[in-house]
Amino acid sequence: MRVLIVDDEAPARDRLSSLLADSDEHEVVGEARNGEKALEIAGTTLPDVVLLDIRMPGMNGIETAHHFNSFESPPAIIFTTAYDEYAIEAFDARAVGYVLKPVRRERLDRALEQAARLSNMTLSEVAKRSGISDRRKHICVRAQGELKLIPIRDVFYFHADQKYVRVHHENGTDLIDDSLKHLEEEFGDEFVRIHRAALVAVRQIDSLKKTTDGQTLVTLRDAAQDEDDSLIISRRHVADVRRRIKGK
Amino acid sequence: MASRPPNADKEAQAYLPDFCAAGAIFVVVLVAEIVAILLTLAAHTTPGTFLTELAKMSMFILWLALLSAAILCKIRPWVEKFGGTQAFVFSFLLLELLSLVFAELTYQLTRIYGEAVIINESHIGFILRTFAISSIVIALAMRYLYISSEWRRSIVLEAQARISALQALIRPHFLFNSMNTIASLTRTDPARAEEAVEDLADLLRANLGGPKDRTTLKEELEVAAIYQRIEKLRLGERLNVRWNVGELPMRALIPSLTIQPLLENAIYHGIELLPDGGEVTVNGVRSDDDLEIEIMNPVPLDQSASKDGNQMALANIRQRFELAYGGAATVEVQESDDAFSVKLRFPCEEHEA
Repeated sequence: MRVLIVDDEAPARDRLSSLLADSDEHEVVGEARNGEKALEIAGTTLPDVVLLDIRMPGMNGIETAHHFNSFESPPAIIFTTAYDEYAIEAFDARAVGYVLKPVRRERLDRALEQAARLSNMTLSEVAKRSGISDRRKHICVRAQGELKLIPIRDVFYFHADQKYVRVHHENGTDLIDDSLKHLEEEFGDEFVRIHRAALVAVRQIDSLKKTTDGQTLVTLRDAAQDEDDSLIISRRHVADVRRRIKGK
Repeated sequence: MASRPPNADKEAQAYLPDFCAAGAIFVVVLVAEIVAILLTLAAHTTPGTFLTELAKMSMFILWLALLSAAILCKIRPWVEKFGGTQAFVFSFLLLELLSLVFAELTYQLTRIYGEAVIINESHIGFILRTFAISSIVIALAMRYLYISSEWRRSIVLEAQARISALQALIRPHFLFNSMNTIASLTRTDPARAEEAVEDLADLLRANLGGPKDRTTLKEELEVAAIYQRIEKLRLGERLNVRWNVGELPMRALIPSLTIQPLLENAIYHGIELLPDGGEVTVNGVRSDDDLEIEIMNPVPLDQSASKDGNQMALANIRQRFELAYGGAATVEVQESDDAFSVKLRFPCEEHEA
């Protein structure tokens, strides 16, 4: 199996790769010191299974696994954890693959044998039980086989465009797979629905404007505003948007 | 910047007993009766009238005592806010005032209705005598209550400190990660693995040696340095610690295991969560008769990570400082969006040897 090792600590990575170096069945195809790097090199290294540390700076293991799940053929995930994420033990080892540090060879072999991909629901459950925030800090975009991570704090708004959702952010716009409903559930604290098909970052809203024909429009702080009518607030949402702006 | 969590405050304070409780009222009645017997015995001269005299005396003292208990019962939640000693002083003054008013009232009543209880002395004499006796009794009672409450308080504090010392033991997270690091180094760098095992042993010994009350700054800083060495193996370039402690007298005493847990916090809640790591700064200064040690670390802007562990280690250090120095030491926490710092300030006491 092609294995990708992800851990922020060099000795922990060394340990796993030296354990795997003795094996004929497995091959380490890459090492990454954080989630972002892992997703970046996964496109070229094409791992079958990812050995993933849960507690990492920046993007934690849970979020990284979520992003892996958005791949066309997602790799299997095995978490590597120290004591404080022991809540993971509450899961059946088959349901959620994990190895405890210090890692034992037999335990690693068994986990690799049973490795399976994890559903997003299972990941959320793992996050909950480990006391880790399950909210993504990034939106994952794939364009022409390239993987791009857009930090949530760079997002201006999401706009549903027939089949896809288009994300407007600091460095342009991209199409993503997430549904607007799902995005609203996950980022409802920071984003507000302004009409059926648009979700706007509250912190980006500069003011509300009335147009000559009586409609209310959102103007954004940093975004170059197009001339389209995507940011007109529907009558149903005006009161809610006003309240959210006041509350920020 | 509160220097103590509200919970610890409540438990660690001197407090008045609850005079609304039946048990307390029984004791009040008992003490009042003893005083009545004592006073009657002391004043008794005419044979055959002892019981009558005792009855009169009891009536007077019981009324005063029960009224006092009722007042203390009502005002307790309110005076408690002043905190320990002041609550007692205030209650004492209030009861003094009450006994004055009560004496005056009794005098007036006996003048109007008092054929049975004639007071054969001057107005001012009666008031003064009553006041003097009640002052002494109230003062004795208050002093007793104060001491027994202080005693209870010190037992609670000591028990808390003992539990805290147990909790102060190294985080399992650190232990297992260190083991993993050592397992890795045994293959790649056996010499460093050996050092790491030695360091870990020293650190565990310092921890398992249990809560020595105080240790010298020199020893405490050595334990912290060992801890730093082990973490450095794991975190590499990401961890830097700047020690500005040259000014501190190394023979000065400090409660053991205080700097190391704070360094551990700084790493666990700060450095470890920053992708590029950062620098922990430890500043030590001497000002007048106090020593000040401040441990500062950067934290990630997005603080969704839980901070519970942090609170526990801090509460524990606060308790141990309170026990060791009473009010003479402070533990101050400062938080901003991207930094966290804890400042310990405590009296400089040097090791005698």
